[in-house]
Amino acid sequence: MISRAVLCPSPPLLARELTGRDPAVPGLRAACTAAVAWLLEPRPQRVIVVGPAPATDDWDPAGRLDLSAFAPALGHAGKPGLPLSLGLGAMLLDQAGYTGTRVLQAVGEGEPAGQCAQLGAALAAAGESAGQCAQHGAAVAAAGEPATMLVLGDGSARRSEAAPGHLDERAVPFDDEVVRAVRDGDLPALAALDPGLARELMVTGRPAWQVLCGALGPRRPVTEVLYADAPFGVAYLVARVDPGSRVASSAQRKFSPK
Amino acid sequence: MDDRAQAAPGRPPGKTQAETQAGTQGRTQAPLRLGRTEFAPGRLLVMAIVNRTPDSFYRPGLTWDEGAALERVHTVVAEGADIIDIGGVPAKPGAEVPVDEEIERTVPFIEAVRAAHLDVIISVDTWRNEVGRAVCEAGADLLNDSWSGWDPKLAEVAAEYGAGLVCAHTGGQAPRTRPFRVSYTDVMADILDRTLELAARAVQAGVDPSRILIDPAHDFGKNTWHSLEVSRRLGEMTATGWPVLISVSNKDFVGETLGAGIEDRLAGTLAVTSVAAWLGARVFRAHNIVQTRQALAMVAAIKGDLQPVHTVRGLA
Repeated sequence: MISRAVLCPSPPLLARELTGRDPAVPGLRAACTAAVAWLLEPRPQRVIVVGPAPATDDWDPAGRLDLSAFAPALGHAGKPGLPLSLGLGAMLLDQAGYTGTRVLQAVGEGEPAGQCAQLGAALAAAGESAGQCAQHGAAVAAAGEPATMLVLGDGSARRSEAAPGHLDERAVPFDDEVVRAVRDGDLPALAALDPGLARELMVTGRPAWQVLCGALGPRRPVTEVLYADAPFGVAYLVARVDPGSRVASSAQRKFSPK
Repeated sequence: MDDRAQAAPGRPPGKTQAETQAGTQGRTQAPLRLGRTEFAPGRLLVMAIVNRTPDSFYRPGLTWDEGAALERVHTVVAEGADIIDIGGVPAKPGAEVPVDEEIERTVPFIEAVRAAHLDVIISVDTWRNEVGRAVCEAGADLLNDSWSGWDPKLAEVAAEYGAGLVCAHTGGQAPRTRPFRVSYTDVMADILDRTLELAARAVQAGVDPSRILIDPAHDFGKNTWHSLEVSRRLGEMTATGWPVLISVSNKDFVGETLGAGIEDRLAGTLAVTSVAAWLGARVFRAHNIVQTRQALAMVAAIKGDLQPVHTVRGLA
């Protein structure tokens, strides 16, 4: 069971080293730091990091972001390089001082929604069984909750003429709907995001968000959006997701959990 | 000011001091042929940008009007430009420019430039073979393929017309797209792989090897860190023996490095230009011709490839 989840964006510039003398996005980094601190508050036995990559795969937990791929002058970290999103997730965990078990799960950029949901359910179930095992051991029984999930990915990179992908009029409405769905804990809306449209709009987060939907199942989470902005034409979103215990029903869904 | 190569005493032929000091062990540079002219390796060429577009990134629309564009050509030739690079489509994303529109923007203008300046080298910045054919018919000498062989038939057109070809690196970006989180294991290795592959293909297609240039294409498919790395390691490109063209004028990586707006990037541009010249680049695509010419003359003099204009200080 996933006890808490956090959404963070995955632009390279989240790494402070990459933006030169100008911190460029201090507010965004602060929001990520706050969100990850909250994620680690219940002292999870494991953190599952989910992020988009060219292919679905699990990565070496010892891996780190290879900054040299983006800034050769910074040199190699000497650890196995991860895909950008997972590398940033690992970086955020390092910055928060997390040294526990981490699962680094890449989800393919083109993975269909159904596959994403299945992957999410499998990750959550694996976390649960691990948690149950742990609870049988007296030494770790009080270690905290079984698993939390750090989900990386972004909205559209086509929000303005200056955006990396130039302007697509559909970008802002698409991102607005994602933010609304996250704000309202409306997982079915996230699960229903169209992969084809997302790809056209250069939305990287879609598969990872849909893995989260699969991991949380039919629950209706209580959420808090800490950051939703697009300073460079790419939509960044930071949010806390508290799955709660309520199972969404059509009756409940008439009322906002907030 | 003429920075034509002049023999410097005490130096092995074909190898400059910069190459010796940079420790490049590569092939010696050979003469570059463009149009009817042969340029010796020590001769540094300035390629003036004259865009036939309403929306290029630097001073958009400056030469959109054909009269203004022709006037600009007269000016840059007088200022010492060796090559005029004519573009009909901006590199940045924007309204689509169909093939016939690109031809309409460039061909009549090329004819006018050729009529006014018989010997100036005319280059056209295009990635499309249909446009390449039309501009070569109109008298273009060089096809500046900034989008890295996106249309493989462009090299065949260069071969057919005896034109030159620029082989650039974009990291596989489609024409008119911006880099989005691009990363490289080794950006210079990727540049060498791609540009040398394109040059080899061009030779195979029948392009005269003495008319082929390679271009790392700063900012194209690269973030600022990548473009700085390219600038630092440009000697690895010049060591291949292929003449290297650089296109850095007023670009974003200069702006980001200095925190400078579009109108405040000349000093940064000239710094990159100077480093590239020191490392052996031979063609410099530029907006600011007088200043670029002066920077290059200064570097050529430091290298010993050019005699100073006037030296009496301490000598009288």
